[in-house]
Amino acid sequence: MNKLRNFCIIAHIDHGKSTIADRLLERTGTVSKRDLVSQVLDDMDLERERGITIKSHAIQMHYLAQDKETYTLNLIDTPGHVDFTYEVSRSLAACEGALLIVDASQGVEAQTISNLYLAIEAGLDIIPVLNKIDLPSAEVDRIKHQVIELLGCADEDIVLASAKSGIGIDEILEAIVKKIPPPTGDVTNPLQALIFDSVFDVYRGAIALIRIKNGTLREKDKIRFFAHDNVYEAEEVGILGMKRTRTGVLCAGDVGYVVGGIKDVHDTKVGDTITTVKNGTTEQLPGYKVVKPMVFSGLFPTETEAYEGLRDSLDKFKLNDSALVFQPETSAALGFGFRCGFLGLLHMEIVQERLYREFNQAIITTLPNVEYIVHKTNGKQVKIDNPADMPQLGDIDHIDEPYVRAQIVTPSEYVGNIMKLATEKRGVYINTTYIDETRADIQYEFPLSEIIFDFYDKLKSTTRGYASLDYELIEYRESDLVRLDIHLNGEPVDALSMIVHRSKSYDWGRKVCDKLKDLIPRQMFDIAIQAAISTKIISRTSVKALRKNVLAKCYGGDISRKRKLLEKQKEGKKRMKQVGNVEIPQEAFLAVLQID
Amino acid sequence: MKESGLYIHVPFCEHKCIYCDFYSIITTGKVRDYIDALKREITYYQPLYSESRFFSSIFFGGGTPSILAPDLIAEIIGALYQSYTISGDAEITMETNPGTVDESKLRAFKLAGINRVSVGIQSFNDADLKFLTRVHDSQTAINTIHTLRECGFENINLDLIFNLPGQTLEAWTKNLEEAVKLPVQHISAYSLILERGTILYKMQVEKKVVISDDDFDAELYRETISFLSDNGFEQYEVSNFAKPGYQCRHNNHYWQYRDYLSFGTSAHSFMNGKRWWNNSALTFYLRSMKNTGHARSGEEIITPDEMHDEYIMLALRNSGIDTNDYISKFGSGWLIAKQPEFDKLLSAGFMKNTEGRLQMTASGYAVCDEIIKRLL
Repeated sequence: MNKLRNFCIIAHIDHGKSTIADRLLERTGTVSKRDLVSQVLDDMDLERERGITIKSHAIQMHYLAQDKETYTLNLIDTPGHVDFTYEVSRSLAACEGALLIVDASQGVEAQTISNLYLAIEAGLDIIPVLNKIDLPSAEVDRIKHQVIELLGCADEDIVLASAKSGIGIDEILEAIVKKIPPPTGDVTNPLQALIFDSVFDVYRGAIALIRIKNGTLREKDKIRFFAHDNVYEAEEVGILGMKRTRTGVLCAGDVGYVVGGIKDVHDTKVGDTITTVKNGTTEQLPGYKVVKPMVFSGLFPTETEAYEGLRDSLDKFKLNDSALVFQPETSAALGFGFRCGFLGLLHMEIVQERLYREFNQAIITTLPNVEYIVHKTNGKQVKIDNPADMPQLGDIDHIDEPYVRAQIVTPSEYVGNIMKLATEKRGVYINTTYIDETRADIQYEFPLSEIIFDFYDKLKSTTRGYASLDYELIEYRESDLVRLDIHLNGEPVDALSMIVHRSKSYDWGRKVCDKLKDLIPRQMFDIAIQAAISTKIISRTSVKALRKNVLAKCYGGDISRKRKLLEKQKEGKKRMKQVGNVEIPQEAFLAVLQID
Repeated sequence: MKESGLYIHVPFCEHKCIYCDFYSIITTGKVRDYIDALKREITYYQPLYSESRFFSSIFFGGGTPSILAPDLIAEIIGALYQSYTISGDAEITMETNPGTVDESKLRAFKLAGINRVSVGIQSFNDADLKFLTRVHDSQTAINTIHTLRECGFENINLDLIFNLPGQTLEAWTKNLEEAVKLPVQHISAYSLILERGTILYKMQVEKKVVISDDDFDAELYRETISFLSDNGFEQYEVSNFAKPGYQCRHNNHYWQYRDYLSFGTSAHSFMNGKRWWNNSALTFYLRSMKNTGHARSGEEIITPDEMHDEYIMLALRNSGIDTNDYISKFGSGWLIAKQPEFDKLLSAGFMKNTEGRLQMTASGYAVCDEIIKRLL
């Protein structure tokens, strides 16, 4: 166990986490250079395209250190986006140390700080690494200074590296061996194994990725999970190399996997503890905070017949993404679909995109919203994650909405822009600290609903891409909120309802009406578009009836062409949703997202 | 006996107009070759389509058929009579451009058998004509109509185009007034179509011309329908208006889903549920005729579903769905299923039910494509 090191890498997006990981794998001979598809750990196409890690991964390496001893290193990868903070904390619990990667040009960013705090909270030893030091824009001394300020470490503790050029890779490996403690735990104690991730394999069922904290797990052991009463046999046990490698046994300190013919992925709950039936322990390891979705939206198949297929897709999806929650929803406008909960907007986009790519499902997504707590006049409280479920105005005493504490790291010249944006978004200023002379760390409190749509994009554009954002949920606070309904030809369209702050409702009402006017094509009848709060119409516009749509000529040689055009239009029509007499294009349901 | 139509395409023009996307060429060097090829094609299909079928219309389209010498037209008509059963009262139309014909030529066409003439006037406004690069001016156009009348033609159509760049409602109405003063029995009024590949299309892309929007187009169209109907021209198709008894029989063959057999470059035929089309380039057509005796370059078998959709589409553009005829061809299932849709369209005034015929009103014709899309 003395020759074992479990570590993870934490970094802000694009600071080079995946490339560092690639170099470590290459240097230790875990993968040959030839086989190295750039960024081995990001194995979803989407991850590579977007340059972000979505799921945790783990991989084992062997390293012959300068002390002539061979060490086993388990690298557990972590995602770097704010939506996936929970995945980070999962990985941290399986490690004793962490590499903190900071881009030598960009410096300390919001996720650097937030992930670092998570790692320190989890009791990990931190190895600071400055990456990309050979770029012309690198400011090694300045960024070093930032890191020292942040960590309180010594200058010489910081490893200078360039993953791209292979600089500092040996130094990183030596630091891992020297500075990260070996795992503690006793192989003779009863088994305590922490599930830090699970994957689903169509042939083998749910596979738990585990870190053994105490005891030994052998194949044929009868195992038990704390979260439920099902007992399984450990059919296969092994380590996580480039592929799963069967070893038959895992001991305290090891990171590996267990296959047990587990059909239901819910049985391998991330954060749960596994022990043996015989001589097991009754002591459960501290689990994770249960991940709570923060953003909710309706997903509806474009074709009603596809409902069952969408359910199957979501079920399958959930096998590998425990953060996704969903339940059936019925909308008067969109028919049968699902109300889904996501960790954030990026998570929502990823789910949508993956449903489309992997399951071939075209779906309509409704406007995302947060979960509200409605205090009714009869003293009862209800949680509302769908504007359509909002009680009658007369039954509402008041509404609470979730607030987040946001941390924005920015070059100091943009502080003014950010404050302006924050005011628009109902932000409450807390304070500003300076990381160094040029970088400010601004703290704000925001209603979550204000930052889930476009806040991040606006922040980026108002700071020319330099600011970074991190946030965490703090509490629910009372707010003056109203439900804004959209009526088309006098009929409310439930899927277009939204909950907004009263002070913004008139402005929103007008903008949504205008946007819908642009998005809804002219049809055979006038379409009245109205925004309403309860029974009061606060804004209105209309789409004038189409006055002319007919091809002037259709003679003998035109008929086939005209028919084919019609067939194409019929296909296009399938992607429209008919609500009453009105045909609504899919993108209209997300119209609000396109409003400035 | 099946009633059908015959079409002859004449791809020659004196020059190419900026809005035209028909296949046409300016050279006339190959006219003789072309006439011979047409005659071979006419004989080629004779064994296939001459039995238990009669043809009640012949249509010379183009291009500009009227630039052919009358004896060539006579030669083709003669070849058609030799191979096919043509009814005694057959409608024999020729498209004509003003300025390509004089009185003696017109008399010769009449002798050759032409009994209906369609004149491509497009506008009575000289600025419009210049813009469209037509070879004639408005006075020539007016004279041509009068000459036709003097030569004894009693079935005359004139083509007009509306929504030309810069055209006002007043200017268009003036065109209509001019048209109905003339001794014509039929008027085709087309909204300007921007076809890809035309010079006009390019001009519009390059923002050299501005075409008015659909709302203005709709206004001109509404005026067209009401003006022409006030003057005794009844609308029987999206762009076609006729005095009682003067609907174009040949075009009604297309629209009422009857068969048609066509000859010449880019000609489309529709016979016994099969549609095919010829090579559109003259040299390919000639070569193909020489080598194989026909010039088909593509064909499709229309499936029952496609037949249904084409029937509905064409009927709605024309004089409406004759429910008895429809039911005899396709049964009543679809009509019953669509009853609520039809009821909506009827009550909204887009359609009317005239003795079992579900047909468009003026406002319905204007959004005909939208209605077809809704129904199918």
